[in-house]
Amino acid sequence: MGRKAQKNDSLPGSLDMLILRTLSLRDLHGYGIVQFIQQSSENQLLVEEGSLYPALQRLELNGWIDGTWGMTANNRRARIYKITATGRKQLAVETRTYAKLTLAIARVMGAQ
Amino acid sequence: MKSAKRSNALREEMELHLAEKAAELEADGMTVEHARAEARRRFGNVGLKYEESREIWISRFVSELGQDVRYGVRTLVKKPTLTIVAVLTLALGVGATTAIFSIVDAVLLRSLPYRDPDRLVRIFFNEPGVGLRDVRFSKPELDDLQTRADVFEDVSPIFEGSENVTGAGQPERLDGVNGSFSYFSMLGVTPQIGRLFGPQDFVPGFAEKAVISDGLWRRAYGADPNVVGRTLRLDNDPLTIIGVLPPGFRHPGPTVSGDAEVFGAFGGTGEPFPKPMRGTRVFVNGIGRLKPGLTLAQAQERLTATAAQLRHDFPGDYPPQAQWTIEIQPLQETLVGNVRPMLLVLLGAVILIVFIVSLNIANLLLARASARQHEMAVRLSLGASRARMVRQMLTESMLLSLIGGAAGVATAVGTLDLVLRFVPPSVPRLNEVRIDWAVLAFALAVSILTGFMFGLVPALHSSKVALSSAIREGGRGSGYSTKTGRLRDVLIVSELAFAVILMVGAGLLLRTLRDLLQQNPGFNPTHVVTANIQLPNPNEREMDPYLDAPRRATFGRELLRRLKTIPGVQLAAITSALPSTNTNPNAVGGTTYEGFTIEGRPVESLQDLRAERIRISPDYFKTLQASLLRGRSFTESDEDGKPLVAIIDESTAHKYWPTGDALGRRVRFRRDPTKPWTTIVGIVNDIKSDGLDIDGAPHIYVSTYQDSTKRLSVVLRTSLAASALEPQIRREIQGIDPGLPVFAVSSMNDVLDRSLASRRFSADLVGGFAGVAVLLAAIGIYGLLAYMVGQRSREIGIRMALGARREDILRMFLRKGVALAGVGVVAGLVFSASTASVMASLLYGVRPHDPAVFLIVPLLLFGIAVLASYLPARRATEVDPIIAFREG
Repeated sequence: MGRKAQKNDSLPGSLDMLILRTLSLRDLHGYGIVQFIQQSSENQLLVEEGSLYPALQRLELNGWIDGTWGMTANNRRARIYKITATGRKQLAVETRTYAKLTLAIARVMGAQ
Repeated sequence: MKSAKRSNALREEMELHLAEKAAELEADGMTVEHARAEARRRFGNVGLKYEESREIWISRFVSELGQDVRYGVRTLVKKPTLTIVAVLTLALGVGATTAIFSIVDAVLLRSLPYRDPDRLVRIFFNEPGVGLRDVRFSKPELDDLQTRADVFEDVSPIFEGSENVTGAGQPERLDGVNGSFSYFSMLGVTPQIGRLFGPQDFVPGFAEKAVISDGLWRRAYGADPNVVGRTLRLDNDPLTIIGVLPPGFRHPGPTVSGDAEVFGAFGGTGEPFPKPMRGTRVFVNGIGRLKPGLTLAQAQERLTATAAQLRHDFPGDYPPQAQWTIEIQPLQETLVGNVRPMLLVLLGAVILIVFIVSLNIANLLLARASARQHEMAVRLSLGASRARMVRQMLTESMLLSLIGGAAGVATAVGTLDLVLRFVPPSVPRLNEVRIDWAVLAFALAVSILTGFMFGLVPALHSSKVALSSAIREGGRGSGYSTKTGRLRDVLIVSELAFAVILMVGAGLLLRTLRDLLQQNPGFNPTHVVTANIQLPNPNEREMDPYLDAPRRATFGRELLRRLKTIPGVQLAAITSALPSTNTNPNAVGGTTYEGFTIEGRPVESLQDLRAERIRISPDYFKTLQASLLRGRSFTESDEDGKPLVAIIDESTAHKYWPTGDALGRRVRFRRDPTKPWTTIVGIVNDIKSDGLDIDGAPHIYVSTYQDSTKRLSVVLRTSLAASALEPQIRREIQGIDPGLPVFAVSSMNDVLDRSLASRRFSADLVGGFAGVAVLLAAIGIYGLLAYMVGQRSREIGIRMALGARREDILRMFLRKGVALAGVGVVAGLVFSASTASVMASLLYGVRPHDPAVFLIVPLLLFGIAVLASYLPARRATEVDPIIAFREG
């Protein structure tokens, strides 16, 4: 399938990983995910909020997350996403790749 | 999740996001408007993100579809035999259905090609009290339709008939129509050249102007653009051409033979029309346009009331026992009503064919699906979802059905002209038949439906296969799994049942046709050649050389004298009505049933005395070899001025003189007490005069030298062929009057044959379809058993190794085939028996539950089924146990 190149400011593909990581901690709806990422990064990572939704669609289509209708803390109807078993596997894969990548970058930077 | 549901969910999600963000910003102290704007700004382009999100799963679907199609094409190419067989049978099924539907669409479904065709009606005047329908009407009655009943926007009386066109070249006989001056504006036609009739043309009699059809314009005038103003001689009357109709225009009513080509107009109040009196009923047909907004039922109600009022106001003109009344029918209905049963039966037959074709393909695919179980199982275990597999298989079937459908449309386009050549010309509106968008849409729908039908069963089935067993079983090809087996049995049984239905239908139609062909027409049609002449009927009486009976008798005698001099002609006679040529009883010169009175019986009880009066020359019965039962034939001396004589047929004698002897009795035509009596001098056997499939009205023959019409046919007893005689007949007739056209020279056998054309057409077509159905069903049974034998060869090997005899093996498979055939045949018979009555109107002399058909069809089909299962069963007995083990 023709995947769109991810318009992400930081590392390519990292949004998927961040979403999966967030959902591995708790089930959340879209806005909740954005808030969680911002808060836990102490506002260092600003997700372009609109990009969240294509990413959610893609993750769901790949069977990594699963959305069901539920209620937010403010008692409004929302699609609450939870991570699936294959999603956890994918998270593990991406975490490893990411670790390798950051390590490699760190080495390059350290060698300077 | 469905696409629409998904889109809505996405939208709701994004809106919630924006709302929550705005709420948060508001909590931080922003104003409502600012918060909302800021939330949007941070979100990015909402519409774009929405589209991007949607695209994720839509592009997935599209790319998967592309994948499926590519994979499907590969599979189809990999199995070329199956693909070719499927596409060819589909091409046949869809092609036949499309061709027949294009005819049904043009004839029955499409509106008539006139302005607001739904408001056009045929007007009938009936006398139900004396069992008469469609009686003539008078000028005052016509006017009442306009003035008394607030129903019609316009009405027009119609004369349909044939007229002689002379002037250039060979005189021609054409179908012509005369209507009112508003005939064309009522229909809503615009001319391609010149103008059509209008109020400015009004004359009390016939206008000396004519409008011609596109066909005549091209044929006789070489499509001359300056044709307006030229003169056309019609039955000796000179008419000025004022306009040419557009191509495709057709008079909305029956004509004598083909399409009307010359159109005239008349006022109906002056010469040659009689004085307009209520009781002087000269008009034959009428059509009208209803006022807008009026339903047919409302209009009918008002007309019934008007008729009652008229009966009350003019009791002298409407005897109470006749119950004179006015009836309207949609014009479309009167045009196509009589061919509807035939066309619907044909459409039903092709739809059955499509069913059988898709069952056959389902069977093939099911067989292949079992062979592909292994592949499917592997794909399932690798994580493909079942829904995805069903979709994959359905895509393959759709691909197959669309290719087949395209081939079918190509077949239909390629063969439509050929098919139309076999459609009897009595079917109206054939000139409108074409493959248009409606027909293409129908073909597409049929293809998709069949694809779905034959694809869904195997697809669902194969996706249900249990993983473990399929991998195990599929690897070894060990058996005919019971589940697949049962499904295939059902398919075969339904296929056989459909074939039985088609065969019963075909059997009934063919039996009807055979009975009719074997029927004794009451004379010997072999070695008889016929030709037709129409004497001109000019509006100027002084221009008429054939005005009265004596002048016509002179012409007749001269005609017979000349015809008998043609070498090879033994006998010659004249008749006013050839047997089996009654195409349009209302056309001028066509058959008319006339009332008559029997001497010595009270007039009141004779209201329903009607007979067809046929004018013949003395040698008529001798020429046809019909047998005179009693009394004498006409002689040359039964002429004008001598006592009037008549010969009646057996039916007439039985009907009107059931107890006594009819010979010597006297009758009087038209109940006019001033006319002399006619004496019955002979009784002849019944001659099928109105067509082999019509139980005729009683006939009374009179001498053409005493009473004659302008429409006459000659019959010649000769051993020469019609084509060989035609130039000589033409020469002799035109030797008397070069302006007389001679038409439809053919053998009497051809005339009889033509009267059965539409029966032959439907019988042949349904018969052909039934043949195809039987062939497909036989292939189905053969394929199933051959497949079973292949799949079970190991089992057969074991059985034989354990001592089973070849007969046991043979019996085992034969039993299977016979059981399937039995169930299918019985199911088909039950269904046929319960629905055969829909065909009743197409049958003649054969009951819908004809025992012979219901006996022969199952036996025949059963025999074929046994044969089709015998061949693979015999192959099973030839299985070599050793080889079977090794391969297994």
